Amino acid sequence: MTSSRTISRLSRILALIPYVLEQGVADVDDLLERFGYTRDQLTRDLNTVFVCGLPGYGPGDLMEAYIDEDDVIIDAADYFTNAPRLSPTEALGLLAAGMTVIGMGDATPALESAVSKLTRAAVPDAESALTVDLVDESQNVSKLREAASDHRVVSITYRSVGKEETTQRAIEPWAVFATLGRWYVMGYCRMAEDERTFRVDRIRDLQFSGEVFEPPASVPEPVVGYTASADDVVCVIDLLANAYWVLEYYPVEIVSESKSKIRIRFSAPDPELPARLLLRLGRDARLVKGPEVAARVSELGQSLLETYR
Amino acid sequence: MQNVVERVLNLLIYLLESPRPVTADEVRNTVQGYDSDSDEAFHRKFERDKDVLRRLGVPLKMEALDAWEIDYGYTVDPDEYAVPDPGLSQEERVALSVAARMVRLGGSHAGLDALVKLGGIERSAGLEPLGADLGAEAETLGSLFAAITEKRPVTFDYRSSQRRLNPYGMAHRRGHWYVVGESPEGERLYRVDRIEALEVGAEAGTFSKPEGFDVRSIMDAQPWETGGGEEVQAKVRFDAEVAWWAARTLRVDEPRGELEATVQVANNDAFVGWILSFGSSAEVLEPSVLRDEIRSRVSAALDGLP
Repeated sequence: MTSSRTISRLSRILALIPYVLEQGVADVDDLLERFGYTRDQLTRDLNTVFVCGLPGYGPGDLMEAYIDEDDVIIDAADYFTNAPRLSPTEALGLLAAGMTVIGMGDATPALESAVSKLTRAAVPDAESALTVDLVDESQNVSKLREAASDHRVVSITYRSVGKEETTQRAIEPWAVFATLGRWYVMGYCRMAEDERTFRVDRIRDLQFSGEVFEPPASVPEPVVGYTASADDVVCVIDLLANAYWVLEYYPVEIVSESKSKIRIRFSAPDPELPARLLLRLGRDARLVKGPEVAARVSELGQSLLETYR
Repeated sequence: MQNVVERVLNLLIYLLESPRPVTADEVRNTVQGYDSDSDEAFHRKFERDKDVLRRLGVPLKMEALDAWEIDYGYTVDPDEYAVPDPGLSQEERVALSVAARMVRLGGSHAGLDALVKLGGIERSAGLEPLGADLGAEAETLGSLFAAITEKRPVTFDYRSSQRRLNPYGMAHRRGHWYVVGESPEGERLYRVDRIEALEVGAEAGTFSKPEGFDVRSIMDAQPWETGGGEEVQAKVRFDAEVAWWAARTLRVDEPRGELEATVQVANNDAFVGWILSFGSSAEVLEPSVLRDEIRSRVSAALDGLP
């Protein structure tokens, strides 16, 4: 299998040649920016172009390619007046990127028209066949992105994950990002007095506080997912086949697996989340170990039986 | 790598410039880089290089050279090779460049690779405090997308059984990619990350999408809205503390205090699960069949305690 580095190099060369041919004379700096080249890489690729061409491979058969001070010139390469068509992955990647931004409700008219032109050109039938949706029911992503750009402090009403409680806090948003289908905002939380990552869909209200904060020199790589702490409530649960979806929705550790069940370790900041989960799973799961969780299941279960008597 | 790059460029030029399909032997005797190879080394190299061309998006075709289909040759049609010009304005190119920088597909910047082919990435002001990764394996997504646009049937393994599907569309929703289509058992939806051993049919245009098919309408459904069960109308009450949260999921206006909502339920199981995730902050008021279901679910959980 040929390495993906070779593929990217070839792909860039096949895109570079038609661009330079169309310009006639291309500017080195423009090429570096536009194709993500370093000057050395560009020189090396031009040197490669220069030794390739039509069979015979004599001086008259090869392409011409050279740098003259700040100009790049390519000639005798008429067969490369066009770049190769987009691979399906590339077409999908570009369309999905455009649709993601449109889905955030942040699209400019230019982006909308660009996506529809691309759809028509690359995949005439994809209009109704492709949808990319990073749900932002809260409409807060745009506001947070604005706050992160302008370093504005925001105060949020937040329903925490795991504890299932609602708090009011001031945060300094550094970065807004989406992964695994959810939007997150990462920054400094003044209540926790530490760096925190919040799920945007769990932010109820959001207000600009009017204050401006000093951003960190560099924003750390965001961490998503639940990080277990020493104070966590830990329990062990056996999942039957109908409950295997739990593995994809909660950060659990698989202890052992057999034909008929999967044993997991579940950590949470308090017993509420695992208790509710066990109640909704009914006979599809069984608590193996975890006295705090057992107590909460029992308490909550009794009160529900009371309600539904 | 240098040798491969040069050889593939020479091969592509030869294929684009030849007025008729060329045989493997002709390639071997003509294109620089293959000349001194043994039979076996040549075939290995040539197979690899053909694969490289395909991955670059080059439409490499094999055609019979005679009416008896004894000899085959390779060809690349220059018109098919050329990327169609979508006619983007400068402003549109900048907008796409910003989007492609922000969004990755399974960790790869496939959108930026596409832009490079369309004439390069445009400079845009500042660094975006925003990024998104759409997960899943980019190669599988690409193959499925190609099958959808070219209307090719696919087969794959899904939870250890083999499935056949005429794929109509795909969607990214709640963190996962899905493919939707017609299977021998009816319309089906599969999660892309669970698909294994994907094979795309050789023949294009073998089916047509139903009139008015829109993948969005299928994906918009909540888990309890689909499932083929008999539909019931449920009345639910949510405490004030969680009412806003429930209202967003149900796509109704956020209430000031508690929320009483009527919900169409086609899948009792999924609905009961969702209600119980609210603990004691939500109550199904009617119908009694759902209340019974909750009671039996809770009893089972209590019976299972150690």
